[in-house]
Amino acid sequence: MDFGYTPEQQALRREVRAFIAEHVTEDVLAERGSSESNTGRGEGGAMKRLYEKVYERGWLGITYPKEYGGQGGDRMTQYIVEEEFTRVDIPVGMGGSGAPAIMAAGTEEQKQYYIPGLIKREISFALGFTEPHAGADLASLQCRAVRDGDEYVINGQKMYTSSAHMATHIYLMARTNPNLPKHRGISIFLFPMDTPGITVRPLWTMQNDPTAPIGTTYGHQRTNETFFEDVRIPAASLLGKENGGWRVGAMGLNLDRVGASRYLISVRRDEDIVNFVKLNSFDGYAPAKDPAIRDKIAELWIEAQVCRLMTMRSMSIVEHGGNFTYEGSAEKTWAPEHGVRTTEAIAQMLGPYGQLLNGSPHAVESGIFAHNLQGAFQSGINHGSTQVMRDQICRRGLDMPRK
Amino acid sequence: MAQCPVCGASVDEAAVRATTGFTAHGASEMDPTKGTRQFHDGKWVYFDSLECRGKFLTSPETYVRAS
Repeated sequence: MDFGYTPEQQALRREVRAFIAEHVTEDVLAERGSSESNTGRGEGGAMKRLYEKVYERGWLGITYPKEYGGQGGDRMTQYIVEEEFTRVDIPVGMGGSGAPAIMAAGTEEQKQYYIPGLIKREISFALGFTEPHAGADLASLQCRAVRDGDEYVINGQKMYTSSAHMATHIYLMARTNPNLPKHRGISIFLFPMDTPGITVRPLWTMQNDPTAPIGTTYGHQRTNETFFEDVRIPAASLLGKENGGWRVGAMGLNLDRVGASRYLISVRRDEDIVNFVKLNSFDGYAPAKDPAIRDKIAELWIEAQVCRLMTMRSMSIVEHGGNFTYEGSAEKTWAPEHGVRTTEAIAQMLGPYGQLLNGSPHAVESGIFAHNLQGAFQSGINHGSTQVMRDQICRRGLDMPRK
Repeated sequence: MAQCPVCGASVDEAAVRATTGFTAHGASEMDPTKGTRQFHDGKWVYFDSLECRGKFLTSPETYVRAS
């Protein structure tokens, strides 16, 4: 087993870095933090132009088949490209469980319509899973979809639909048969956000801090609750089989956990901390020479390597067509908790100054460490809490009973 | 007017449902200060705040009986 990079992969990394140095210009950086920028529809158009160039290079949708607008490439190539762009806080992954779920369960028409659009960032999904009383226990959801001729009629609501205010479509989980056991009466639907009957209500959370430096807090600045009142959609909006949505949704979520994103969330955080420790001294005190700090930094580095190796293993399993089940749950537990430990460690090193947010005259490094500390906890909750992930490891990985 | 089943405040159902703008891709947006609602047992229940809805969801039967 070779854990190193091939000469071709090393050359790719250099090529991506050169591209970033040339094309991630001041106007891109200025636009990068806007709420629309990740979708390539920022107001100034700089992000859109950048994404077009990234697409021309073949760096969007790398692992997706060519017939659907992808590159037919491997996950390691995707990983290298994503890692480099993460360092400048520009996402180039597909971002979300919609695309893998469509590839796994969609009709040919759905693949032809959605996958190229998702790759070019012309289509984006809001994730309509969580409800006010159905988060960790997602299968308790009450949003209803009732078949009426060639249509389904949706009634209900969703919570924390973070992209609802800027998404083109929604990837919705709804109950189609309330008489079946709760995991079995669920289906998934894909439809446009401008379908009549959809209402979006803004929700502001502690993540909504406009002074947060770019890339520090994980997640959108705004989230939403979304209401569906007699929303009529074509029956062809169904993804997979009716009442088979739980399996499709879980598969999409699991595949979304494969790859670089969980690990890469921590890359820049970890590098920022190491660079800060190495480059700063205070009245003759050099943190890089402090045995306690060196010990902690080394411990965090080891944790980061565990995270990276888990990522590599998951990618390898999927690349070889293996049965990927609990491995994503292990990554989804380890990476966010590593992120929390990392941000807590730097907060302890910096003392009270580590708590000061951007805008304070005494904030360290524009408050990046304080903002990261706030944001790190969220990643242990969203897209499946670490508690749920642990349960999945026991059930799917260790063959333990449900209760 | 509906009555919040938790605190008893009046909630303007029409205002909660009213379109006050549109998202980037055409979904209706509403004013979050007007209250919120919950799809419960096949019908909409209106609340004057997220806090009241949160209390309701911890024990819906308590508040449904009381109202």
